[in-house]
Amino acid sequence: MIRRIFPFLLIALVCAGAGSAADKAPKVFVLGVDGLDPKLLDQFVAAGELPNFARLIEQGDYKPLQTSMPPLSPVAWSNFITGMDPGGHGIFDFIHRYPDSILPYMSMSKVVPSDKSVEVGSWVVPLSSGDVINLRRGRAFWEYLEDHDIPTTIYHMPVNFPPVESGGKALSGMGTPDILGTPGTFSFYTSREVSNARQITGGQVFYVDVEENTIEAKFRGPENPVRRVPRKTRSRSKEVRYEHPDLTTDFKVHLDPERPIVKISFQDRDIVLREGEWSDWFRIDFKAVPYVVEVNAIGRFYLKQVRPDFELYLTPLQINPEEPALPISTPESWSHDLYEALGHFYTQELPEDTKALTYDVFSGKEFWDQSQFVYGEQSRALDYFLKDFEEGFLFFYFSSVDQGSHMLWRYADPDHPGYVEDDQLLSGIRVLYKEMDNALGRVMQAIDDETTLIVMSDHGFCPFYRGVNLNTWLLEKGYVTLRDPSKQGRSSIPFANVDWSKTKAYALGLNGLYVNLEGREKRGIVKPGREHEELLDELERELLAMRDPQNDEQVVTLVVRTERDFHGPEHQIGPDVIVGYNWGYRSSWTSPLGEFPHGVFVDNLDAWSGDHSVDYRHVPGVLLTNRRITLDEPALYDLSVAILDHYGIEKPSQMIGNDCLGDPVTRGQIDAGTAE
Amino acid sequence: MFGSKVKLDKELLKKIKMYAKIAGYSSPEEFITHALEKEIALLEEADSEEEIRKKLQGLGYIS
Repeated sequence: MIRRIFPFLLIALVCAGAGSAADKAPKVFVLGVDGLDPKLLDQFVAAGELPNFARLIEQGDYKPLQTSMPPLSPVAWSNFITGMDPGGHGIFDFIHRYPDSILPYMSMSKVVPSDKSVEVGSWVVPLSSGDVINLRRGRAFWEYLEDHDIPTTIYHMPVNFPPVESGGKALSGMGTPDILGTPGTFSFYTSREVSNARQITGGQVFYVDVEENTIEAKFRGPENPVRRVPRKTRSRSKEVRYEHPDLTTDFKVHLDPERPIVKISFQDRDIVLREGEWSDWFRIDFKAVPYVVEVNAIGRFYLKQVRPDFELYLTPLQINPEEPALPISTPESWSHDLYEALGHFYTQELPEDTKALTYDVFSGKEFWDQSQFVYGEQSRALDYFLKDFEEGFLFFYFSSVDQGSHMLWRYADPDHPGYVEDDQLLSGIRVLYKEMDNALGRVMQAIDDETTLIVMSDHGFCPFYRGVNLNTWLLEKGYVTLRDPSKQGRSSIPFANVDWSKTKAYALGLNGLYVNLEGREKRGIVKPGREHEELLDELERELLAMRDPQNDEQVVTLVVRTERDFHGPEHQIGPDVIVGYNWGYRSSWTSPLGEFPHGVFVDNLDAWSGDHSVDYRHVPGVLLTNRRITLDEPALYDLSVAILDHYGIEKPSQMIGNDCLGDPVTRGQIDAGTAE
Repeated sequence: MFGSKVKLDKELLKKIKMYAKIAGYSSPEEFITHALEKEIALLEEADSEEEIRKKLQGLGYIS
């Protein structure tokens, strides 16, 4: 490992002598606010609601920050982390596909199970442990900082699960699953009929009976890694296939016969809740093999209602930072240290429970309350880090603006097809920005004049009015052929009805469009070379010509061809084309996983009403700093180069950006922030 | 050989016999068995696709 002393530290050592305060690495603080939008920021600043942002804009420097294409968080943060674009870091979307099976998978990480085991009856004894792999390519910029002995602390950086090995401290962010291995699956225990129970995604409904004021139910945990049972299958094959049963543990709910109060009992623990009340975090132990193999998790209950119908919500079960089942921090013990300092906290990638609101398990107010818990945890963590920030690089991440902008947009936009009048939630997004202003104020109070401060976001926001069934469009244009057209729209299994021998292209993920390429896709028919290129030319023309019959709007304003437009060798794992939708449009709810509903366009009536998976030019992020911004149009990958340059580290050859930060513009002049 | 009889359309049976010969199967029965096994394997694969789908669906961006 090459270790080098950064130049100005060397000068400082010569001038001041070793051992003085000057031998500490200069401080850089990056406040990463997912989804902070420059238009909304300008609007709220102009209204005088964000005094700390206003001060930093006035006394420092501020520009829109060019995001990634597509402007999705995993892609955008990867641009920042690696200083590359998707051609280099290999993250093109939330969802990628295996070309041989066209099966989708999460792009950010994967779990590789143990490859050696002994099977004895219904038990599987693993002889080696499995592994979790971060699928992002390229080195993170803070690895270079660590190479140069600069201390780093990275809190909840997206696309950093499991965290890259480095000498610094890091807690994983977006990409970190819940204990079931999903992006987040809540549980809803109820005695009432839930009409949409089968349609609920990201959650599971458990029906319970109330008998003599008592309910018996189970926590559902992950699969039992060491037990197997015969798998139920539709096949009549005599071959027995096995699956791992879920781990479960019982709990009992005792209802007060008169008052809306319950006592929940499990594993020698009692929790008393009143209707409308949240529990604190609690730990659950699942026993795969009692005393030998155990998995633990943490959760929180919310008692929604006791009578007439019983309704109890349980958060997605989290990887417990106290004793993590999967690697969520570097060093591994650091999540335990954070638990010691901060108590239990959400470790799941995006903890705001958008699915519970989407499927009416939460009301708008209940979603807001849950989001505020998340913000409160992150806010306490910020204060904890600021207290001990003495040298080096610190990155801190907030998720609340992004998740809130997705879910609260419709309350503030009368033009939205799903507009809902709600006096309290109307100002929800504005309140989230004010909370960020408060956090920024605390940062400005805590840092000294020598600290470089950068506030940045990965992308902005726009409304999600109309969904585009891109696969249906491909079908109507003749690029896809179905085996049985009469069954169009019936199957939710990805591409189940597609005749691959007559299909030239397919859409998968939020913005991805793939050619069914011979030699790459298992049943590919388009020949590489000229035929491939001609098809891409044709698709580009056709996509840009797509019009919405409802209003004659152009639907796609940008088409990016990954091989032509990106840098680096990883374009081969991504889509051939990335579709940049116009303002207000987005891929539909079902097209990203290979469904073919009838009709190309559909109004979005979902609670998820704001989005950003469009042409990147519509949704830039923000860059605010107490240094001069030297580029007219700084981009995410410029910022990583700038941070390295700040410490005197030369730009690595694979990074495509340029230094975008100059001298301090306000050193010693920025007023301390204001905060409650 | 099949354990039970299956009725097939005459034209289809004619094609099966022809293609079984062209493709080198020892009999039309062997060709039919092979084709059905492939189709069943696809259906069984669909089970695991459903599981994958469930895991992806917690993502807010899709339903």
